[in-house]
Amino acid sequence: MVDLIQSTLDGVMSGSSYGLLALGFTLIFGVMRRLNLSYGPSIMVGAYLGTLLYVQFGLPSALVAAVVVAGAIAAAVYVERLCFAPFAVGAGIASMVSSFAIWMQLEQASILVLPRHSYPFPTLGSGEPWQIGPLLLRADQLAMLLALLALSAGLYVILYRTRFGLALRAIIDNRTAALLVGIDVNALMLKAFALASAIGGVAGFLVLAANQQVTAMFGMWATLKGLIAMMIGGLGSIPGAIVGGLVLGLVETYAHALFGPQIRDLSAYLALFAILVLWPHGLAGGRAEQATPQRGERWTTI
Amino acid sequence: MPPLLEASELEAQYGWTKVLHGLSFGVESGGITTILGANGAGKTTTLRAVCQMVKTGGQVRFDGQRIDGKSTEQIVRLGIAHTPEGRGTFVSLSVEENLRLGAYARRDRTGLAEDYERIFQYFPVLAQRRRQQAGTLSGGEQQMLAVARALMSRPRLLLMDEPSLGLAPLVVREIFDIVTELNREGTTIFLVEQNAHLALKVAHHFYLMEQGRVTFSGTPGQLAEDEVIRRAYLGSRQAAG
Repeated sequence: MVDLIQSTLDGVMSGSSYGLLALGFTLIFGVMRRLNLSYGPSIMVGAYLGTLLYVQFGLPSALVAAVVVAGAIAAAVYVERLCFAPFAVGAGIASMVSSFAIWMQLEQASILVLPRHSYPFPTLGSGEPWQIGPLLLRADQLAMLLALLALSAGLYVILYRTRFGLALRAIIDNRTAALLVGIDVNALMLKAFALASAIGGVAGFLVLAANQQVTAMFGMWATLKGLIAMMIGGLGSIPGAIVGGLVLGLVETYAHALFGPQIRDLSAYLALFAILVLWPHGLAGGRAEQATPQRGERWTTI
Repeated sequence: MPPLLEASELEAQYGWTKVLHGLSFGVESGGITTILGANGAGKTTTLRAVCQMVKTGGQVRFDGQRIDGKSTEQIVRLGIAHTPEGRGTFVSLSVEENLRLGAYARRDRTGLAEDYERIFQYFPVLAQRRRQQAGTLSGGEQQMLAVARALMSRPRLLLMDEPSLGLAPLVVREIFDIVTELNREGTTIFLVEQNAHLALKVAHHFYLMEQGRVTFSGTPGQLAEDEVIRRAYLGSRQAAG
């Protein structure tokens, strides 16, 4: 029983980081209706920049966090201008393929700067777990849960209480009509892209701080986990991203506890497969109508 | 006085296909101007070309200022509102949010509350449904919302694309009553309409369009209505022959 509770706790914690990654991913998808495969590698650029400053100058954790987020935003702006702004909404495949090319570019650029397979990453707190009865709780993992709660609440406020958010929801709903009420769709998309990658940057920092190291696989890892969590929850849905992340975290942790670490990643794909068979629009299937193209708008997802 | 909106040699194309072939027209300030023509004549494209939502050639002037080459969003900010084909409702947003978006481009945000009042006077049904999701409105209510949203930007020129499409005759009449009322209060209107009878009743000036070209321009009464309809829907060549 204690094991089950501990696994659930661990699953929620690691699921929080997946939820954060999916939150950024889904924001881009919702606004752009296009998949940004460079999402993870953009975060990796920020992470490598932070690591470089940490390794070279021993930058404190808080500053490293700021560098990671800033680097992720800068890389995302680069990706958006190169892979998304030049193509129309209908050209989903062109954007996706070019974001894949830029993935390779960002990853190679990062590896050129820090060529070893792994580097140390600053930790949050002492790294010693707290003992609560029979349960263990780590500060850095708790930070993930808190960050998920805070950032999703923040995103909710931005989307539902600000003029910027209203305009974003208008673009998500009907891009043509958004243009016709005078929304500068291109400028807003860039901002949404930057915002999404800032959230991704926070997620990246927290994950790496918990791992206490950064590896060259991080970009791919972040894209894959974010993508899976987003698809489980439902493309473009914000509650879906949170739910998808938590489900993914729980499935992985339970599989790990029951069948060992080799099964952990496999279980994620099995879960994705099962959920997509049962709920093709993801768990937050209430947004199913949004997954169908609107009148006069042709878009391609994958 | 020059027309409020003036296009000369306006061309438009989708991909490689040219749809407008050098269209020239003017929309007089304070009037209702309408374009009539069969399906596929390029009426909707003409409105889209004014707002630069398609690739265009030629010149468009609004209030003497060149607007071709500007972005859609800049053109809207100059005071041109467009109720598009299919109404362009933000279906997942509430009626009130739709209206708030109508005022998005407005520089002066004073008088917003009065504008809501004015619009709810015109469209009492929208006041009742203020918090409702716009996608749940009926077709007629959505068309009213489209007009109401356009009005929230306090436009000097209102482009309307087929406001009667798919609506019951009573609702159509209600909407056209509002259109004439708005015009009387000073909004210039450029109307694209399938229903020639209805359009000719409200318009001060009309153009006939065929295959991306203007084939006739005049005031209602200048041509007998059946002649207009014959030319608009059967083509001038057949009519002439």
